[in-house]
Amino acid sequence: MRMSLKVSQPPPHGGRLVNAVVDREEGARMAAGCPAYDIRPTIDPRTGAPIRNAYREVMSIAYGFFSPLDGFMTRNEAESVMRDRRLLSGWLFPFPIIFDVDGEELRGLGVKEGDRLLLRLKGRPFAVIDVEEVWRFDPRDVADRTFGTPERNPEVVRRRFDEKHPGWLMYRSMTGTAVGGRVHVINEPRLREPYGRFWYPPSASRLEFGRRGWRTVIAHQTRNVPHTGHEHLMKEAAFLGDIEPCNGILVNAIIGAKRLGDFVDEAILEGHEAVSRFGYIRPGRHLVTMTLWDMRYGNPLESLLHGIIRQNMGCTHHMFGRDHAAVGDYYDPYATQTLWSKGIPSYGLPAPPYDVDRGLKIRPVNIQEFWYCPVCGEIAYSESCGHRDKAERFSGSFVRGLIAEGIEPPPIIFRPEVYQVIVKWWRRFNYPFVNKRYLETKEAELEVELDPMEVTTR
Amino acid sequence: MTYKIAIVLDKARMEKVRSKGVQVKDLYGGYLKVIELEVPDELAKRILAEFPRARIDARGFIEETPIAFKRELFDSVVRMGAGPAAIEDAMRPEKLARIKELASKEDEYLPPPN
Ligand SMILES: [Zn+2]
Repeated sequence: MRMSLKVSQPPPHGGRLVNAVVDREEGARMAAGCPAYDIRPTIDPRTGAPIRNAYREVMSIAYGFFSPLDGFMTRNEAESVMRDRRLLSGWLFPFPIIFDVDGEELRGLGVKEGDRLLLRLKGRPFAVIDVEEVWRFDPRDVADRTFGTPERNPEVVRRRFDEKHPGWLMYRSMTGTAVGGRVHVINEPRLREPYGRFWYPPSASRLEFGRRGWRTVIAHQTRNVPHTGHEHLMKEAAFLGDIEPCNGILVNAIIGAKRLGDFVDEAILEGHEAVSRFGYIRPGRHLVTMTLWDMRYGNPLESLLHGIIRQNMGCTHHMFGRDHAAVGDYYDPYATQTLWSKGIPSYGLPAPPYDVDRGLKIRPVNIQEFWYCPVCGEIAYSESCGHRDKAERFSGSFVRGLIAEGIEPPPIIFRPEVYQVIVKWWRRFNYPFVNKRYLETKEAELEVELDPMEVTTR
Repeated sequence: MTYKIAIVLDKARMEKVRSKGVQVKDLYGGYLKVIELEVPDELAKRILAEFPRARIDARGFIEETPIAFKRELFDSVVRMGAGPAAIEDAMRPEKLARIKELASKEDEYLPPPN
């Protein structure tokens, strides 16, 4: 067989995109006569702050971001994922996706396996789940086995996870009763401003790539307002295509519960948008999008989910940097690059995700670091610049510190138009970062609006 | 291990340190002027313990301390120079109490730039 050196758009993970969004008429029929359950946030037991809302998982499943996953996991599937990072169908998947509920309320509703449950959001019909299994679990045990331990995963885990790790805390704070089964969105939500224009579910992003004539597209993961270090990462990594640099750069922001002190989601999206709106990357080569997900900060595991999401969106390449989706020093800083160059046997990956059966078809671009070098007089790549001892490294916390003190960051590390986006949302929220008030408002409003819908419930 | 902490200098702060013999460092091709202080391990631990949001970044700098702390620290540096004594001075109990009170308000509101 002749193999072309040209790269083309990969198929969705698992072969086909999940589309579990039905129209309202069909939805009302599906939900008729079902008991109703209100989706509620997972709460940090120490502070009372909302740290996760499972509605975001319903959205990411139903709109195909997590294909081939088409529902919340049963016990067997969650066990399989924690053991081998495989769905029961054999396809790679990093995290147990668990719909935990108030067990007592569920019993009160008389829900049993084989039933269908209507899920309400903001008091309105939103989705249904076909109850395949109601199962119980020990949240602390699931949290530990989801992320690993230094003893069991010595290749990449440096220290034991605890409640300071936001992802571990999410699993640790679950109720211990779960409902597994397929989900459908029955009342398609509208995304609130400014989210709507960044909403490109995989089927829509694939169409958009086609419309723009993008054959090769490199994905950039973000949970940050971009500084010029991020911008250089995007531009330089995009040079790795096939017979030419990648045609497109897809920015995909993870939108959901945030940590105190992070930038607000609105500024993250519009900050990235400003990069091309003001021409630092030509708009025709740049697309800013989002995925609804309460980030687990699982470094290599998170990178695997990122690979799945962006392959589903139609990307051919994915850039991975140092400390990818990490927090603190739980993981080795290069754990993600270890996964994407050698694999991590203790996570069930004896080879990289693209070299195992039922693995991924997206190509990693492992990149180290960009810094400002006063000798080169430019933003330089750490493996190219020979002045390591003079390098001025980027630090997100340093930039946040400047902003908090009311000092506009220098243009060489932060584009003035991107800074103006931060100031815009700062005026709106009276604060430039996530604080407790922002988290509470966000949990009350979420990213979506739902129209009223008549459903006869039991 | 020794860490560092940086105080960024705007025009007003530059005026105040002029002629004090404090070493000012250029960052990012001279766009930013900073004073860098060395922070011995024990003192770094105290700073991290006093301010729960403070953390050490990938460069080994202590970041995300309250703005009020940086303000006190700058005043101490003007009087005492850029050594550990200035940090000790900014961490005196009566100053810490005031810093923490201001810091709790910093979590609620920060004035946007004009
Ligand atoms: Zn250099």
